[in-house]
Amino acid sequence: MKLPVETVIEAFRHNLYAAAFNICKNAQDAEDVVQDTFIQYWSQNKDFETEQHIRAWLLRVAINKAKNKNNSLFRKKTLPLEDYMESLSFESEESSELFEAVMKLPEKYRIVVHLFYYEDYSVDEIAGILKISSGNVKVRLSRGRKLLRSTLKEAWDDDE
Amino acid sequence: MTNKEKYKQAFSVLRASDDFSLEVNVMEKTVKRWKLNRIVAVVAACAMMIGGMTMAYAADVGGIQRTVQIWFNGDQTSATVTFDGNGNYSMEHTDDDGNVHYQAGGGVSFLPDGTEVPVTEYEIMEYLAGPDVQYEENGTVCVYWGDQKVDITDKFEDDVCYVKLENGDDTLYMTVKYQNGFATSPHRYLSPREFN
Repeated sequence: MKLPVETVIEAFRHNLYAAAFNICKNAQDAEDVVQDTFIQYWSQNKDFETEQHIRAWLLRVAINKAKNKNNSLFRKKTLPLEDYMESLSFESEESSELFEAVMKLPEKYRIVVHLFYYEDYSVDEIAGILKISSGNVKVRLSRGRKLLRSTLKEAWDDDE
Repeated sequence: MTNKEKYKQAFSVLRASDDFSLEVNVMEKTVKRWKLNRIVAVVAACAMMIGGMTMAYAADVGGIQRTVQIWFNGDQTSATVTFDGNGNYSMEHTDDDGNVHYQAGGGVSFLPDGTEVPVTEYEIMEYLAGPDVQYEENGTVCVYWGDQKVDITDKFEDDVCYVKLENGDDTLYMTVKYQNGFATSPHRYLSPREFN
């Protein structure tokens, strides 16, 4: 199966943007990544098993493209993260602090944390998307949580 | 609230821009063979394009990306080429497993008076559209051009192979020196002594 690109854009663009932003840490590169990912979906003659398969594939492609973007010579000059955050409408101070704390995590912890807490993927599913072992995912998730706990104190529950 | 609820609330502020749009115009465009009257040096290219090319206009990235077909590990696949306008390009393609392969390059050309200028998008595409020789891990040697894949493994004599390539109305005479480069001409086979 392959859903029309318009359907896929409507369903997943915000999720891809959030994942891409999580890695790139700037809006313009994240927008580029989302655009490139959908172009890739549109141009790839690939048969998917389910909608969840499409979602996982899109996230994997977006994450890889975002990592490449970080290593690219073609990165665009954009707003510093702090300035961009001022343009976001957080529901509470606590949300803003959590956002900032996550963005300060090392990239390899950040994306694992994001896939777990935002996309609701299990450890094994994250391992499949990132092509790393489940053990590695557990370690990164654990370290990410500890860092968040040490930064956010009581605002982040000890849920290990 | 649980940590997941807190996290989702915090990151729900991240939204792709409202004017996001994906206008994809498929254009049946053929790469025309184009004789350069300037010396073009392009580095770090290792893929080739075939004739059928599509263009994807990406309104909110402020430029044109080309979606092209390339040969990769013996299979044809789609790739996206982005130009920075300063003689550089980057190319990405994604394999069936979602792995994104990335390469980039660029170069300059020299005008008759010696002035150095960045190569144009068209010159880069022309370079990328040329034939390519790939040495596979299993020892086979293949030439790729257009939608053709020609196995020339057994055609070498004294480490030199001559192969005639045809792609539509275009004909190229190709001389390949084993593991030592190749040269093409639309008119005749070039002597191994004439290049490298």
